[in-house]
Amino acid sequence: MTKLKKDKNIIIIISLVILNVFSLISLYSSIYYDFELQNSIFYKQILWFIISWILLIVFSFINYRLYYNLTIPLYIFTVLLLSLVDMFGKTAMGSQRWLSIGGFNLQPSELSKITTIFILARFFSQGKQINFKKILSVLVLILINAFLIYKQPDLGSSLLIIFLFFFVGFFSGIKKIYFIILIIFGLTLLPFGFKNLKEYQKKRLLVFLNPNIDPLGAGYTIIQSKIAIGSGKIFGKGFLGGTQNQFNFLPERHTDFIFTVIAEEWGFLGSIFLIFIYYIILKKILDTSEQLKDLYAKILCIGITANIFLDIFINIGMTMGILPVVGIPLLFISYGGSHLASSFILMGIFLNIYKQNN
Amino acid sequence: MPLKKLYLTGFFIIIAFLIYYQILKGDYFYTRSQNNYIKIIPTSALRGKFFDRNSNLCAYDEVAYNIAVIPHQIKWKKDILFKEIAKSLNYNEEIIYKNYKKNFQNYFTPVNILIDINKMEALKLKELLGENIIINTLPKRFYVYPYEFAHILGYVKETPSLYLDLKYGYSPNERIGISGIEESYNDYLSGTDGGDLIEVNAKGDIVGFIGRLKPKNGKDIYLTIDKDMQILAYKLFNNRKGTLIFMDSNTGEILALVSSPSFNPNNFVTGKNVEEFLNNKDKPLINRAIQATYPLGSTFKPIVATAALEKKKINPNTTFFCKGKIKIADREFKCLGIHGKENIYEGIMHSCNIYFYNLGMILGMESIVEYAKKFLLDSLSGIDLPYEKKGVLPIISEQKKWFLGDIINLSIGQGTIEVNPLKLTIALNIFANGGFIVKPYLVKKEKQNIKKENIGISKDTLETIKKALILVVEDKEGTANLLKTLDLKIAGKTGTAQTKTKAHGWFFGFFPYDKPKYTICVLLENIGSSHEAVKLTYDFLFELKNKKLINND
Repeated sequence: MTKLKKDKNIIIIISLVILNVFSLISLYSSIYYDFELQNSIFYKQILWFIISWILLIVFSFINYRLYYNLTIPLYIFTVLLLSLVDMFGKTAMGSQRWLSIGGFNLQPSELSKITTIFILARFFSQGKQINFKKILSVLVLILINAFLIYKQPDLGSSLLIIFLFFFVGFFSGIKKIYFIILIIFGLTLLPFGFKNLKEYQKKRLLVFLNPNIDPLGAGYTIIQSKIAIGSGKIFGKGFLGGTQNQFNFLPERHTDFIFTVIAEEWGFLGSIFLIFIYYIILKKILDTSEQLKDLYAKILCIGITANIFLDIFINIGMTMGILPVVGIPLLFISYGGSHLASSFILMGIFLNIYKQNN
Repeated sequence: MPLKKLYLTGFFIIIAFLIYYQILKGDYFYTRSQNNYIKIIPTSALRGKFFDRNSNLCAYDEVAYNIAVIPHQIKWKKDILFKEIAKSLNYNEEIIYKNYKKNFQNYFTPVNILIDINKMEALKLKELLGENIIINTLPKRFYVYPYEFAHILGYVKETPSLYLDLKYGYSPNERIGISGIEESYNDYLSGTDGGDLIEVNAKGDIVGFIGRLKPKNGKDIYLTIDKDMQILAYKLFNNRKGTLIFMDSNTGEILALVSSPSFNPNNFVTGKNVEEFLNNKDKPLINRAIQATYPLGSTFKPIVATAALEKKKINPNTTFFCKGKIKIADREFKCLGIHGKENIYEGIMHSCNIYFYNLGMILGMESIVEYAKKFLLDSLSGIDLPYEKKGVLPIISEQKKWFLGDIINLSIGQGTIEVNPLKLTIALNIFANGGFIVKPYLVKKEKQNIKKENIGISKDTLETIKKALILVVEDKEGTANLLKTLDLKIAGKTGTAQTKTKAHGWFFGFFPYDKPKYTICVLLENIGSSHEAVKLTYDFLFELKNKKLINND
């Protein structure tokens, strides 16, 4: 019995290692001809992997119940950090851009994803006690977060945490009617929200509806990405063989569009393999959560899987033109430290839940 | 668990799209990707040069140094880079952003952010910023004598190309000739642009070379113009409105053709400071020799006289009496002087209106218009310049009733008759070359095919008019007697064309009388009388003679 459980645990570790390898291969390929990035990025990412694994191990030893009591202080800390970036970012716009190439600067929006999951788990685990008023107040907390992230501006992450709210809410055993009401109400506000978007964000959304509006401008990325993915066919063009990628027709290909590189070079089979690995991780977490008696832990697991799923679905969806380009990196694969670290922290939390409940 | 099903559904949506893109449409996208990494780097062909008849360079392509950036390469550091460029060249940052926005095509095509800057500045900038910028050299038209040759040559302008078949996301600008010979000989001058078919890497550097299409430079053009004559003539106008045409009487070869005021075509090449020309009320862009029509005044009289002689209504000895005024149908018409008894020589020499009123009444409207047409005043001269303006003649129809006033007016070149100066020159030139309408031209060709058309005026008539025209200069009563001192044996005719404001002054002439070689025509707008036109002719020919630019054997 213990052996089997240990094996299951190992599945997650193996999956993550496979994804790490996948990430490094794709990263290497995506920057193969980009001499400026080549030296810095690859080794930086290896460093991030080491940091992330350390974080994963550390968090797997921290009792997850600790977060229950720390939820509110953590939330306040996150909001403070976000508003700090908001103020600081404005005064040092130029230098901040330069720094973000290195990717070593922390993005508080990643931290806010974790706190959002904590908040949802804490309040939605109150079971039948929870009423509509409480749900509304949770929503307000989430919206404050989302607004601060949106102002950075990071439309993708801010939408993501709003989606998390609904996802977790829907599947945490609370009356679904509450959320349906909120969704309907939210949809009526959408046109107003669109009006307040920044010019380039509007353009991205419009181009999503029809990339040919602006084939060499905002629609360029989507068109090139589709060409790259499609041209990979079943078996792919092989390592370093992606012409779209190597000849630099793909912007952002080591970050948001790394799936495109994978699909071009490893084809349909490679893409399916990647999705399969993701599914194994999701399935493992969900299977575990089903056996949990602690509702708080259960909802934490739901939150973690929702975060994983949304990350993957939005990212791959946008590379294929199914969803608008909102700037969400590909989970465990894209270049970038903060996102990787926060994802590994979530995995560490899950491993602790797993340990505590067995 | 429903959540698991939801995730599965999400993944199946992704897989469905992957099947569609990679399996069902895989071949289509594969072909598209193959066409993607090959790029064309165009190499501009040099446009043909212009030389005058003595092989003096008049216009050519020089090298303009442009600074370009590759958007994808600088996307992170655009603001800082532009700031640095602006700072080091002391430029306004806004201009850089404006050019960037204007010239942007896609992320991988170089965008010109600074156009036509000093070579040393360009090199200095390159040293400072290295890989971040590209020095993009492009040919740029330069006119050596801009104002003097503006109406003859025109200018070139960059326009977006119509090469829609260049499917690699590159649409280079094309230079096309606007007005002048730049326009009428555009294809001959422009040649064909070439380009390199290359594979590019992440930095826009060439990593593979597929093929090269060598640019074919345009062909040079040798003008019939004599640069010295052209410069001299332009100077004499001193910005007064008018035109001068100086040509070979027998071939129609144009030696000088000036329209004043003029403009600077170099400004139009760069697009800088063109408003002063575009908004000028004197319309310097118009070539007054061919693009404007004027009433002819007395310069029309030799044609009326020809009609009378050819129709045998008079002979050279037929006389009319001028007492300074004449009463026709209760209306009194005046002459400029009291000329007494005049035959055709004296009538033309004095440019006597009363003599020509009489001819007009004998001839009638139809005959005068018939001869105006015979001299081809209602057609184009056919010079190798675009946008020549056709003249206007009275329309003869059976229904139309003519008044006496119409005939009186027409017989002295007023009323519904307006012709461009070159066309008048070509028409009157038949008295110089023995009856031939020549086709004027500005471009020398290897095999010059001189086009002449005999319009069938009898030798006797031509001789009679020619003899009358020399008296205009040689006789001390002639209206252009001033030119006699030049000792060039000039024959000619003055004209003062009435307008609503001040009269236009004309002079048409040719020389030497015995075997004419040169034909000249001068028009000065709203100058009051023909006197200034004669004076300008005098100054021009005096200088030509002085500088031995003409030989008068």
